[in-house]
Amino acid sequence: MEAVVSIVTFRDIFQYEAGKKGRYTPEYQDLSAQIILDKQDMAKLGLKDGGKVLVENDVGSIIVAAKASEDDPHPGLAFMTNSPWSNHLVRDDVCDTSIPGFKSIAAKVSPSGEDITKIGDLLERMKA
Amino acid sequence: MVSAMEIYTLLPKTPCKECGYASCMAFAVALLNREKKLEDCPPLLEPKYAEKYKKLKELLAPLEKASETGLIIHPEKCFGCGNCVVACPVNVAAEPTRCAVGLGPQGEKVILVVEDGVVKAQNIKECRRFGPNKVLCNACMVTCPSKAIEFV
Amino acid sequence: MLVVTCPGCSLLCEDIELVLKTGAISQAKNLCRKGYGHFQSMFTERTEPTIDGQKVSMDEAIVSAAEILKGAKRPLLYGWSNSTLEAQKVGIELARKLNATIDDTSSFCQGILMERVLKGRVPTCALDDVRNFADTSVFWGADPSNSHPRILSRFAYYPRGEKRQKSYEEERTCIAVDVRRSATAKLCPNYYFRVPPGGDAEFIGALMAVLEGKIPKFGDKKRMIELGTVLRKTEYGVIFPGLGLIYSLQEKMGLLEALVARLNEIATFKVVPMVGHYNMRGFNQLLLDETGFINRVAFSDGKATHGPENSVIEASKSCDAALVIGSDPLSALPFKTAQRLAKVPLIAIDPRRSLTTDAAKVVIPSAMYGLEAGGSAIRMDGVKIEFEAMMESDLMSDEQILARIKEAI
Repeated sequence: MEAVVSIVTFRDIFQYEAGKKGRYTPEYQDLSAQIILDKQDMAKLGLKDGGKVLVENDVGSIIVAAKASEDDPHPGLAFMTNSPWSNHLVRDDVCDTSIPGFKSIAAKVSPSGEDITKIGDLLERMKA
Repeated sequence: MVSAMEIYTLLPKTPCKECGYASCMAFAVALLNREKKLEDCPPLLEPKYAEKYKKLKELLAPLEKASETGLIIHPEKCFGCGNCVVACPVNVAAEPTRCAVGLGPQGEKVILVVEDGVVKAQNIKECRRFGPNKVLCNACMVTCPSKAIEFV
Repeated sequence: MLVVTCPGCSLLCEDIELVLKTGAISQAKNLCRKGYGHFQSMFTERTEPTIDGQKVSMDEAIVSAAEILKGAKRPLLYGWSNSTLEAQKVGIELARKLNATIDDTSSFCQGILMERVLKGRVPTCALDDVRNFADTSVFWGADPSNSHPRILSRFAYYPRGEKRQKSYEEERTCIAVDVRRSATAKLCPNYYFRVPPGGDAEFIGALMAVLEGKIPKFGDKKRMIELGTVLRKTEYGVIFPGLGLIYSLQEKMGLLEALVARLNEIATFKVVPMVGHYNMRGFNQLLLDETGFINRVAFSDGKATHGPENSVIEASKSCDAALVIGSDPLSALPFKTAQRLAKVPLIAIDPRRSLTTDAAKVVIPSAMYGLEAGGSAIRMDGVKIEFEAMMESDLMSDEQILARIKEAI
């Protein structure tokens, strides 16, 4: 059971604040390792608010918490705050202006029973 | 914010008029205006209404925190953006060279100020929603991006 | 009580009042949540000089950094947008001396638009002009409530101004064009225009059609006509493009240029880019004055060349050493770019711990600007802001560190 989404990243003041406390804080993880999905998409995946999901594409894969969107319906569109989690899925092959697709991340979302990816793991993958 | 209707559905609806009002609906409105307390309804205090009493207490809890003007601030939601500080007509009148033009206040006569990253209310009696000539000013509420300010 | 300037974002608010006690802020006034978080961070997770994770002296760290850079054939110098003009100047000199590639965050941020603004291809104005004259503010692909919290209350919507004494209640309109109903969009629900991701080019096309009196072929026709009407009635309009619009248009930025030119046939319309980091514009301006380019420059025997191959994304593929100053690319850049940077000898100059400092070979602690060190910066609208150190500090500023590294080379 999976859904194909396009992820758009956005700015959230509370996530920024948590990042200022420290990249390794639980608050930063809570507000960053999150994907906001359209309610219909969540229902199709059989997800409850806060349920864990695997988000993956050619670049990488992460486990984050799925949150039900409170916005007007946006099936196929997902939202994440700008963070090492979202950037773990951003492609670096770019067009002429050399700007990666930070706001158009194609990925597959499916329910998962695994633990949410920690920022330490993401750093280890960068160093590997 | 809880509505009069929501309160009414949880009341005994006798209507015994022991609270001094002709109907339970009128009592519900009085509860919201904080003219009456839950304990002013004797039937509600009976054991068979214990659950409803508990639920009503929960629903009405925010009112306890509200100031006399009915202003409630939720600092955990506040962005510290200062929209309310600059929109508040009392702030603007008190600080024409500061709040009126977007800066933080320097004096003490203002009602709203951003302190430690979030909004704080003071001098509430100066608010236009207070007193015999009160008006339903809601500048601070409609300019808030995160519903951190509301009125009961 | 100290009056300080906040370097939390490119608004550089100067009316901040701080009362400090040992190791903490006792009271802060007028700082938004973002700025407060920034100042609070002064007290936690501060870096120390280290080489390969081992604590060393500042001198040792600086010498090691200089050696790494000197020995590199293709050094990359990246960051810059969180440093003062004084520091950036030394950085550019250092790049020249090293025949290095130098790039800043604008490269994958506001660069495409900033270039047009700095070269005069797109009309712009000061934020004070916005407050005094603007009757229409358009936030396009931007959510200032979360990114620049005080811009609405200080300049764009709520304050009174010379020609806007009745402010938001009667004389100002705020418009939000976005893919989602952001916090800012919720403040102007009647003027929120939802665009599908990547649909901004078509949105502009529809708007141009409306301005010609034609029926638009995209979007809600009635609402597009409404938008056209508001813009036609505007006396002084300001468009604030955020990353949503920049990433959507990219190389089609000319469409925005054309729209602004068309709007200027109707009334005065300006563009102010929503710059994030407090001195990104400063770096772009300095580098432009020095080399004719705002970013992505490679120096070779004093000559500067420019191109996408010099962007941090591309240069990370071929660089053999990197200096990262005041930035955390391992958190902010695509995974593969972060991987590449983590693998080369990395020198991180930063006041605080980040993923980048965790992966760096050499970490050099720096002073936090606005409190421990002073300097000047260019605000998002081009106004120069100067600020002083508010306290004594043993820490060196970026400017001092770079000067020492340059000396040691």
